Amino acid sequence: MSLPRFDRLSGNQKLALLAVALGLGALVIGAPQRGTITINERELAAMVEGEVDHVTPDELADWIVAGRQDFRLVDLRSAADYAEYHIPQAERLAITALADSNLARNEKIVLYSAEGIHSAQAWFLLKAKKFPAVYILLGGLKQWTDQVVFPESPAESASPAERIAFARSAERARTFGGAPRAASASLAASAATAGLSAAPTALPKVAPPAAPTPAAAAAKVKKEGC
Amino acid sequence: MNAPFFKFGLFGDEASLIVAFVIGIAFGFCLEQAGFGSAKKLTAQFYFRDMAVFRVMFTAIVTAMLGLFYLAAVGWVDLSLVYISPTYLWPQVVGGLLLGAGFVIGGYCPGTSVVAVATGKVDALVNIAGIVAGIFVIGEAWPSITGFAESSALGRLTLPEVFHLPPGLVVFLVVLMAIGGFWGAGVLERRFANRSPKENP
Repeated sequence: MSLPRFDRLSGNQKLALLAVALGLGALVIGAPQRGTITINERELAAMVEGEVDHVTPDELADWIVAGRQDFRLVDLRSAADYAEYHIPQAERLAITALADSNLARNEKIVLYSAEGIHSAQAWFLLKAKKFPAVYILLGGLKQWTDQVVFPESPAESASPAERIAFARSAERARTFGGAPRAASASLAASAATAGLSAAPTALPKVAPPAAPTPAAAAAKVKKEGC
Repeated sequence: MNAPFFKFGLFGDEASLIVAFVIGIAFGFCLEQAGFGSAKKLTAQFYFRDMAVFRVMFTAIVTAMLGLFYLAAVGWVDLSLVYISPTYLWPQVVGGLLLGAGFVIGGYCPGTSVVAVATGKVDALVNIAGIVAGIFVIGEAWPSITGFAESSALGRLTLPEVFHLPPGLVVFLVVLMAIGGFWGAGVLERRFANRSPKENP
């Protein structure tokens, strides 16, 4: 039996032949993506310079209050520190466990550590593994505590806009189980009359009431695909 | 520029809606051009008289698969950023059977019913009313069926992972499967060409 000549084949048969040829090519190639990863130092350096990889505590707090579920918040501190206090929604992951973690590359990942050094190092690890959307919480847990949980009241000479902004962050601080505190410069007496605590109190318990419950959180996950 | 464009931030949430609209219109146009705005054409599939649905769908699968494989191989698409629906084995088997039963009874699947409404088919409008009602019922019943709907969760699975085969081999086998399927579809069509559903209830 002789094979039909190529120009006698119908259009569909030619397409089928093309598909088989491409399939054979795939068979030879094996895996579509190679295991080696090249790091573009200039690109990484430009990201560091441009500070595009930062999330401020204010932004993160607003995300959590708004119930956003489109990011993963990773706490890189020790288990003991995590148990004592962590930002709502945060999951703990040791920096050594990053390589084998279940973080997916199509997720937005926000990293934080005590002050930011560990998160910066973890940022590099994940960037080197081609995670495109990794962010560092600016100033780490320290700045989160100072800005979000115990925001400082503005000085006497503050503008109305600053006072309005403070009223808002004071409200938010309560949802995170904290409280506003008096400005370091102002007198303790005036702080007492304003109902502010003069010094930061202890960090709130692990689960402030504002944190969404896991069941509600799961229901909010945005579905992709059809 | 690397794809997926959305994940690499080429456009934001708002622009993505415009992109989705354009792709949706193009998808609907292709379905309509393939004749899938007609319930008669679609249901002929289940009597093996016209296997166009099978051919179009399998051709789409093979085209998308080969395209993604080669674009990834030359580094234009980062496959690890492409969304993969998580697998819930038994809920999805039951869901597939329900969809199939609805397809046979109503004559449309969800996408084709929208296409058929666009060309003014009343039965498709009834179908869409059914879809909306179904969404409402599922939404209301969700708390009582969550246990089943979230059972047998297997995570994000791909065929190469399940069978421990190189992706290229799976691509090749799917191409062979498609060509075998197209040949089989032709055989079925020739055998059932002249039988109408009324003669063979």
